[in-house]
This record gives sequence, structure tokens and C-alpha cells, in this order.
Amino acid sequence: MTGDTGQGDAIISATGLVRRFGDLVAVDGVDLAVRRGEVFGFLGPNGAGKSTTVRMLTTLLRPSGGTARVAGHDVVSEAGEVRRRIGVALQDAAIDPLMTGTELVRLQAVLFGIPNSIAQKRGADLLDRVGLTAAADRRVGTYSGGMRRRLDLALSLVHEPEVLFLDEPTTGLDPMSRMALWEEVRYLNRERGTTVLLTTQYLEEADQLAGRIAIIDHGRIVKKGVPRALKDEVGSPTLMIEVDADQRVAAEVLARYGTERTVDSGMLGIGLEGGAQQLTSVVRALDDAGITVVHMELNAPTLDDVFAEATGRRLEGADETESDVDAPPPTPDRTEDDPSAVTEGQSGDEPPRRRRRSAPLRAS
Amino acid sequence: MTAASVPAAQAANRPQALRQSLQLSRRAVSSMLRQPQVLVPSLFFPLFFCALNAAAFDRITGAEPEFAAQFDSFLDFLLPATVLQGVLFGSTQAGTEMANDIEIGFFDRLLASPVSRTSILVGRLAGGALLGAAQALFFTGILTLFGASVKGGVGAVAVLVVVSSLLAVGIGGFGVTLGIRTGSAEAVQGAFPLIFVLMFTSSAFFPRDLMSGWYRAVATYNPISWILDSLRDLQTLGWSAEDALVAIVTAAGLAVLSIVVALGALRRRLRTTT
Ligand SMILES: Nc1ncnc2c1ncn2[C@@H]1O[C@H](COP(=O)(O)OP(=O)(O)OP(=O)(O)O)[C@@H](O)[C@H]1O
Ligand SMILES: [Mg+2]
Repeated sequence: MTGDTGQGDAIISATGLVRRFGDLVAVDGVDLAVRRGEVFGFLGPNGAGKSTTVRMLTTLLRPSGGTARVAGHDVVSEAGEVRRRIGVALQDAAIDPLMTGTELVRLQAVLFGIPNSIAQKRGADLLDRVGLTAAADRRVGTYSGGMRRRLDLALSLVHEPEVLFLDEPTTGLDPMSRMALWEEVRYLNRERGTTVLLTTQYLEEADQLAGRIAIIDHGRIVKKGVPRALKDEVGSPTLMIEVDADQRVAAEVLARYGTERTVDSGMLGIGLEGGAQQLTSVVRALDDAGITVVHMELNAPTLDDVFAEATGRRLEGADETESDVDAPPPTPDRTEDDPSAVTEGQSGDEPPRRRRRSAPLRAS
Repeated sequence: MTAASVPAAQAANRPQALRQSLQLSRRAVSSMLRQPQVLVPSLFFPLFFCALNAAAFDRITGAEPEFAAQFDSFLDFLLPATVLQGVLFGSTQAGTEMANDIEIGFFDRLLASPVSRTSILVGRLAGGALLGAAQALFFTGILTLFGASVKGGVGAVAVLVVVSSLLAVGIGGFGVTLGIRTGSAEAVQGAFPLIFVLMFTSSAFFPRDLMSGWYRAVATYNPISWILDSLRDLQTLGWSAEDALVAIVTAAGLAVLSIVVALGALRRRLRTTT
């Protein structure tokens, strides 16, 4: 209880939030403090507990333990007050396919007790802003995935909420739609001062949008802070090489230049302590050892490195290990010692890309 | 501080709750109209059974003098049963839709808003009630075309419409309860045969006077029989306030009971999840 008052300017604050489903602990003691007016990124792989946390914060799920306050009210004992002040766009934009965009906006306004006179204009404006004016009177069942997402966003804004929860708002969107949604989030935050908590599996998204982030894994927050600072914490850039010879020999050589880092399988990685200047020495040393380098890259620390350092796994590519979700979580110690056992990530040549739920956009 | 403000807030919310109920009812009705194929069975099957029974049993009016005294034709006898059958068939729709809302997550959209929880239920059941009224008029219209007559006049038809609405709520409420508890449209539809049981253990298709043994006993205690018998008397013997009252009160009782049960299920669901 005293914790609540300690987080004076926090518009979302959670203390020791827990949610169990039977034996599964989906959320395992989450503490959060999101400040008024910020965009907060909640980052984590599939099954990490992002949606479960969001559902508790938005009063849709009762916590098994801990407390949370949103917009000044307790999410359990004052759920009604919380609901009035928040906008929610859940992960699977749940939209009645038989209704039209306009009808859904009107219904949403009624649900929030907004008078018709205001609702009509505001609804039209919102539909216009998300580019759905032309489709407004069509049934939502005919909308593409991107259109649904945008409608969902518009719906969550009808009552001009103080706090907006977006659960994976851009999953399944094409790059254009994603960018447009980012723009909208920035606009809301900048022009209206709306506090935004958004969950995502995309590192880039968190990097682009969020002032601060929290990384959640297996129901626990493993890292929190400003993206820039988190990256600085990782420190040295990551050197990744692929060799055609015995990896062990190459690893021994590399070990002289920095500590091992988790990278995509098939590659060797270290944190290059001396930075880019050391690159030539590394190449020479490998050459001296008779090792041919097939591929090499040096990357400034990314949020991916932050995640890897905190969990011993790479976030991108988490979809391939999705079946792990139900298996007992590997203990952090084990994964750190034996990183190769965990990921079967893709080649590092290309920017990592999500394959999951890449629903093709239906032509409109 | 919140304890004191709750009643005041609730009072202020009453017009809102009404508006929300209306809007949600509207959604229920328009979603029915937008998927008419879902309504076809509840319009077609009762007519089919009616035609079948009328063809099979029409000679009963000649063979059973007691029966013939009240009913000019078997079609007259079948009219209320056909209406109620349609209403019962149609009433599973509310439960299915409720479960569907839960399945697709629309229910969460509602719950994430400060909507009055009761409105969610009212909206669903009001949609069913309207369908019930429409069905009463539809079946009465068609059977009249084929020669059935309503001696109780406009009053009897009005009672038929009201009772149909109430019964749609009464049975629909149980479907909604099932929908809320299971969150599965399939589970609700799986309970459909119970509707048949309810129909066939009533006096819907055979005059109770011609029944015997346990069948007659069951039919006697089946509230659907009470409603049916009163409606039949209204229709064939002429207006009677007593018959009207029995039918309406029975149906209203069922409606109240099922609303209470459905509200309980809704509260329970909200308590265990939210
Ligand atoms: N209603 C539920 N019943 C049982 N288990 C659940 C339920 N909801 C979530 N879980 C489990 O809780 C864990 C966390 O799920 P959650 O949906 O919060 O993850 P997430 O981080 O949102 O993942 P994703 O990126 O896939 O959306 C998962 O293992 C999931 O299977
Ligand atoms: Mg999720």
C-alpha cells in the first residue's frame, strides 16, 4: 500500500502483480511504474505474459496477487473508475464482423456514456484520422487486418482516454500500416498528452516509440529503463563471425578480444571490448590461426542485445521456439552457460523479421 | 470516500444503462437481420412439423367428438404449438450470440468499458423478445392463410405476441446462461435437443386428454403445456381474461426466473475473471 503513494507521478503502477492459470504462473511478480505522458514499451517474446499483464491493468482479469493502480484508481476495487479513463485495444482486435465501422463507433460512444451530439463528430473525425472514412459504412467483416487494427485504435479513443493500452498494435501489419500507426501513437502522445503503454515483440517498435521500456520474460520483468541507457549498459558492440573451420578454435581466438555473446546459431559472437579499432587485430589473429572468415559483422548494441544479455536468448526468432512456452522455463543460469542450446535463430545477414501471424492483407 | 459516491453514481447512470441496453438490443436485432440464414430453421421447421401433423392427424376431429367440439380442424389445434415451437427454436440464438461474443472477444470490449453489466444481458434478451413477437405474427399469419382461425380475436393474438416475447426471454435466458458459463457457441447449440424434449413432453402436439400414464403426468407439469392450453382456449373458445392471465403469468414467471439465473451466471463470470 505504501508503494502506491511512493510512485506519486505514476499513472500506471503495479506492485507484485501475479496471475496464475492453474499451475502456470503467467505473470510472476511484475512491478511497473509508468509516468503520466510517456510512451512505455512492454517488450517480450510469445507467452511472456504481456497480454496477461495488460488484461489485469485494464480490469479484464483479476490478479492472483499484487495490486495495480491506473489513472488514480485501483484496478480491482475501483474497476469502473479505471475503465472510464482508459482506452484499450486488445491483441486480437475483437470486432463484430456484422457491424459497420460507424455503428461500432456509435456503440462505443454509448458504452462510455458520450452524448450523441459529441459522439457523431468525434467518431467521424477519428475514422477520418485512421483513414477509414470511405469504409466507414461497410461491414467490418470485409475489412483487411490493417483496417481492423486502425478501427480498433479509433474505437479505443472515442472517449478520449488519459491512458491508452495497445496490445501488440502492429502485429500482422505491413510496414506502411505499421508506420502510420506509429505516427498516430506519437501524435496522441505529443498533442494530447495521452499516456501509452504498448506491448510489442518488435525491438524496433519499442526503440522507435517508447521513452522507456520493460522487458518481460516468463512472467518476470528482466530489464527496465530508457532504451539508450540499456544499450549503453551492454557496452561494447557485438562482433559476429561465421567461419568455415572448427568453431572451437575460432572461439578461442575470439575469446582474447571480448566475452562471449549470444548470437544466432552458426555464428560466433563476442562483445568486442576495444570497439571497431580492434577489428583488424581480430581478423589478423584469425588469419594467423588459419581460419577463413565466411561472414563478419559488427553491430552497435541493440535492444536485442539487451534482451539477450538479460535472458540468454535472442528475442527475434522467438517464434521458432514458441512450443517452449508450455515447457518448464529454462533457468537463466543454464541458458547463460549454454546459449547454443536455446536458439535456433536465423542467419544474421538479413534484418530479422517476424513470420508469425503475418496474415496477408485482404484487398479492400 | 468511494463508498459514499457509489449510489449517487449509480443513480446518474440509470439513463445511461437504458441507452446502453437500447443500443445493444439494436445490435442484437440488426445482427439477426444480417444473418437471416440463422433464422431459417426457426421459421421453417415449425411450419414443416405443422404441415406434417396436420396431414397425419386431421381425421382426429372426426374420430374424437370431444376434440371436435373445441377444434374445427387440427390446424386450429396446432397454431399455438407452432408459434411456441418457433419461439423455442429461435430462443437459442441469444445464447449462441452471447457465447460467440465471448469467443471472438467482443465481450471483452464491452467489459473494458464502463457499460452497465446488466445492459449486456438486457440487450441480448431484448433482441430475442423482438424475434419472438415477430415469429408469433409470422406463424399466425401463415396458418390463418391456410384456414386456421383465431376466435379470441385481436386480444388473443396480442396475448400470443406478448407470451411469445416473454417465452423467448424465458428460454433465451437459459441459453444465455449456458453461453456465459461455457463461452462456447457449440455448447449452446449442443443443448438444442433439450428444446425438443421441452416441446414433446408438453401438450404441443397431442391433446392432453388423449394422453395417458407418465406422459400425461409430465405434460401436466410442463409449464409449456399450461401456456399452450391457455393459448388454445383463447384461440378457439374466444376471449377469456383468465386464460390470458395464466399464459402471461406463466411465461413471465419463466422469464423472471431465467433472467435471475443468467444474471447470476454473469456475476459469477465477472467475479472469477475480472
Ligand atoms: N486464459 C488463460 N488460461 C490459461 N493459460 C493462459 C490464459 N491466458 C494466458 N495463458 C498463458 O499465460 C502465458 C502468458 O500468456 P500471454 O498471453 O500473457 O503472453 P504474451 O506475452 O501476451 O504472448 P504473445 O506475444 O503470444 O501475445 C502463456 O503461457 C499462456 O499460455
Ligand atoms: Mg499477447
